[in-house]
Amino acid sequence: MTTPVSSLAATSVWRFFPTRGLVIALTALTVLVPLGLIFYQSLLNAPFFDSQASPGLAAYAFIFDDPDFWDATKNSLLIAGSMALIAVPLGGALAFIMARTDLPGRRWIEPLLLVPVFVSPMVLSFGYVVAAGPVGFYSVWVSQLFGTVPWNVYSLPSIAIIAGLTHVPHVYLYSSAALKSLGSDIEEAARMSGAGPLRVALDVSLPMITPALLYSGVLVFFLGFEIFALALVLGDPEGHLVLATYLFKLTNKLGTPSYHLMAAVAVCIIGITFPLVMLQRLLMKNASRFVAVKGKAGRQRPLALGSWRWLAIALIGLWLFVSVFVPLSGVALRAFVTYWGEGIQLSEVLTLEHFRTVFDQPALLRGIFNTIAIGVVGGLLSVACYAAIGLAMHRRNDRWSRFIDYLALVPRAVPGLLAGLAFLWVFLFFPPLAPLRTTIFAVWLAYTVVWLAYGMRLIQSSLLQVGPELEEAARSIGASAARTSRDVTLPLIRHGLLASWLLVFMIFEREYSTGVYLLNPGTEVIGSLLVSLWATGGADMVAALSLINVVLVGCGLAIALRFGVKLHD
Amino acid sequence: MQRWFRTLTITAAAALTPLLSAPAAAQVPAGYPADYANLVAAARKEGKVIVYGATDTNAVSPLIKDFEALYPGIRVEYNDMNTTELYNRVVSEKAAGGSSADVLWSSAMDLQIKLVNDGLALAYKSPETPKLPDWSVWKGEAYGVTYEPIVFVYNKRLLKADEIPHSHADFARLLREKGERFKGKVTSYDIEKSGVGFMLITQDSKVNPGFWDLAKAVGGVSPRFQSSSGTMMERIGSGENLLGYNVFGSYAMLRAKKDPGIGWVVPSDYVLVMSRVMFIAKTAKNPSAAKLWLDYILSKRGQTIIANQSELGSVRADVEGELTAAGLAKTHGNALKPIPVGPSLLTFLDQNKRLEFIKQWQQAMGARK
Repeated sequence: MTTPVSSLAATSVWRFFPTRGLVIALTALTVLVPLGLIFYQSLLNAPFFDSQASPGLAAYAFIFDDPDFWDATKNSLLIAGSMALIAVPLGGALAFIMARTDLPGRRWIEPLLLVPVFVSPMVLSFGYVVAAGPVGFYSVWVSQLFGTVPWNVYSLPSIAIIAGLTHVPHVYLYSSAALKSLGSDIEEAARMSGAGPLRVALDVSLPMITPALLYSGVLVFFLGFEIFALALVLGDPEGHLVLATYLFKLTNKLGTPSYHLMAAVAVCIIGITFPLVMLQRLLMKNASRFVAVKGKAGRQRPLALGSWRWLAIALIGLWLFVSVFVPLSGVALRAFVTYWGEGIQLSEVLTLEHFRTVFDQPALLRGIFNTIAIGVVGGLLSVACYAAIGLAMHRRNDRWSRFIDYLALVPRAVPGLLAGLAFLWVFLFFPPLAPLRTTIFAVWLAYTVVWLAYGMRLIQSSLLQVGPELEEAARSIGASAARTSRDVTLPLIRHGLLASWLLVFMIFEREYSTGVYLLNPGTEVIGSLLVSLWATGGADMVAALSLINVVLVGCGLAIALRFGVKLHD
Repeated sequence: MQRWFRTLTITAAAALTPLLSAPAAAQVPAGYPADYANLVAAARKEGKVIVYGATDTNAVSPLIKDFEALYPGIRVEYNDMNTTELYNRVVSEKAAGGSSADVLWSSAMDLQIKLVNDGLALAYKSPETPKLPDWSVWKGEAYGVTYEPIVFVYNKRLLKADEIPHSHADFARLLREKGERFKGKVTSYDIEKSGVGFMLITQDSKVNPGFWDLAKAVGGVSPRFQSSSGTMMERIGSGENLLGYNVFGSYAMLRAKKDPGIGWVVPSDYVLVMSRVMFIAKTAKNPSAAKLWLDYILSKRGQTIIANQSELGSVRADVEGELTAAGLAKTHGNALKPIPVGPSLLTFLDQNKRLEFIKQWQQAMGARK
């Protein structure tokens, strides 16, 4: 793949090299060391720090011989597939409606759309149990009306559908970020020639943002392999396993830790996802076809929806109701009642006790504080790292860029639970890092690496939109590569950067599995606390903390919007 | 930030301690050897004890407060984590030669015994030992410090009086006779995910000659398996499930106080009793403070708080409270089957035996999916 730029880049490669080399080396190190540990561990027949450990393939033999493993693999594939099938079309459609049309009330709908991104899946799953489980608030109401509950949240299809619906915002964010950066002149041309909004969306706008859709599709598919909370909370009662919960089961199955088995499962997951990355690279080959931000600013004018408006409102309303309102109202209700279920008058059991309990516990208070810190400060630092990596790859279609590209997608394919564990090992066994193990830095580093692909894609989607001629203009009047990045490229993608900060902020707020193994007094974050409280059955605390989490992020988002940090503009 | 404040207040407190009448605080508890004062002095120098525990901070904080009042100047750093995590952390920290805890305290009795068996424990014969039942102490290293009967939990609103099982035999009969009514309504531990759940089931199989019949009866009603007592009770309280088998009595009692829909029964034919195992780490940086903490937990004063504030049940015969060894002995006498703190717990940590048992259990459960 060659572009006019690559030859230009080659001439000045030496001037760029030191910083670029450093960025690449650091990235490789932070991704590959934990990953290497996982591979190494999978080839031993005991935990690697066990004096009895010897090399061998016993771990693989064990899991391939375990029918549960094949069951879990099948379910994971099914769920990941349904997620992509549900989330990509819906996310794209929502993005088009929100970014391109004159739908009324867009300003206040958008924050609502993002709810499932910043609410921990742990919370949502819990919400579905309380709202739509066999004796959930809604189920009881429906069964009073119809005499029966027409759904079962614990079934595999339900888990797949819920997973798909709750991942719509991920696709939406990528697609709308890409749509925002397109001029609307092409769409207007289509409208003038008589195409309806649906036609415009399907034939013009959405094809223009194919890279964003592809990336988000692949990412959602990845996330399908990471589904943990949904399967843990909703899959347990009927025994539906996915790879992540199978992994979790292995923690205890032998009574003592079976890291080698867990690592072998992780390697299998990477084995499934890596070919997908290759496929994605192939699909992205023609990315430059989609350059749409040229030196000439494209003006944006929303399309008039006309009578399609009602359909659009119905679509958004229905999705919001099922994926946001139902689980969150369940959690909210649960947070204010002492107990619940069949045959209980809710008005008689209202209470504020759970919140009093939360504020009485130093660990939980610390968790709230840490969660804010890791979201705001940590998120900013992470975006800075992602931007540095993005720029190191920008306009360079060489081996290194490809290497980093694969590298960035790999950690995302490792379940957070295990990534956290791998980082725990790293911090344990590299003495210089040991003092940092019990600090929030450990959690931040793990989060940053785990969500590398996520942040990178957003930044790259923005970078792809920048036409090379602007940078070439700067370079031709003698600006260095670094200067070009600073004064031309970065300002052009600033909205993308802000959007990714917000996105990363929300992701960090709700992340739960990565921090579980790094949980120490002092490194508590709400997500990991939810897992450990759920494990001990502190449903009251889970509900209260979840609500606090949602409110926190809601405030953060409101402040951001108030001060003009718009997700898109 | 919070931590910094805490450190600040502690430093302030530590600075003030000499101004208070220190000798009064250093009193040796009644009946302890005279040289115990030296241990207290040494512990004072250490200034803190680090505990890794699997018991809720909520339940432990009254103990910590009281201990710190008894021995001013010695701080308890309590780290709350789940049992697997605790074991993993201890093992990996040991391998890495990193910092580790002074005291390890967990409800995964088998894993605790394994750690002791692997030589991670410091031998320490507590002066309280004569007051403790024989089954609760092993090798003067590991101590069972709570007394928690394993019970049936049920939904009071939805279960009729004649459907409440009063024994394991009752329970099996109920499920066989009313299979349709209890389909999908019985909950218990997922023994593959919960080490404690696995331990309880294997103890059941040792104590109960009719165990596999009971297992078949459970398997016949499409049971719902969870990885914690709390999750089970959440679902029983809401009426989604009606009956819970092998639930911690200590948790059930706490829950029942808040939720009038929760009822519990201590079975009459046999009662498994589990006990959270505590030992001092060989590598303890604060061994004297650790000894003080262990002795305090085993003392009448500590056990009274365990029974009446932590709600975990006292292992001592001379402590009064709702769910204690003394109270239950009056009502259930010989039916009580405490799980002995000792090497018999290691049987099922053998990988082949464990997997074999799991397979057998799964067969009894049938194709519950």
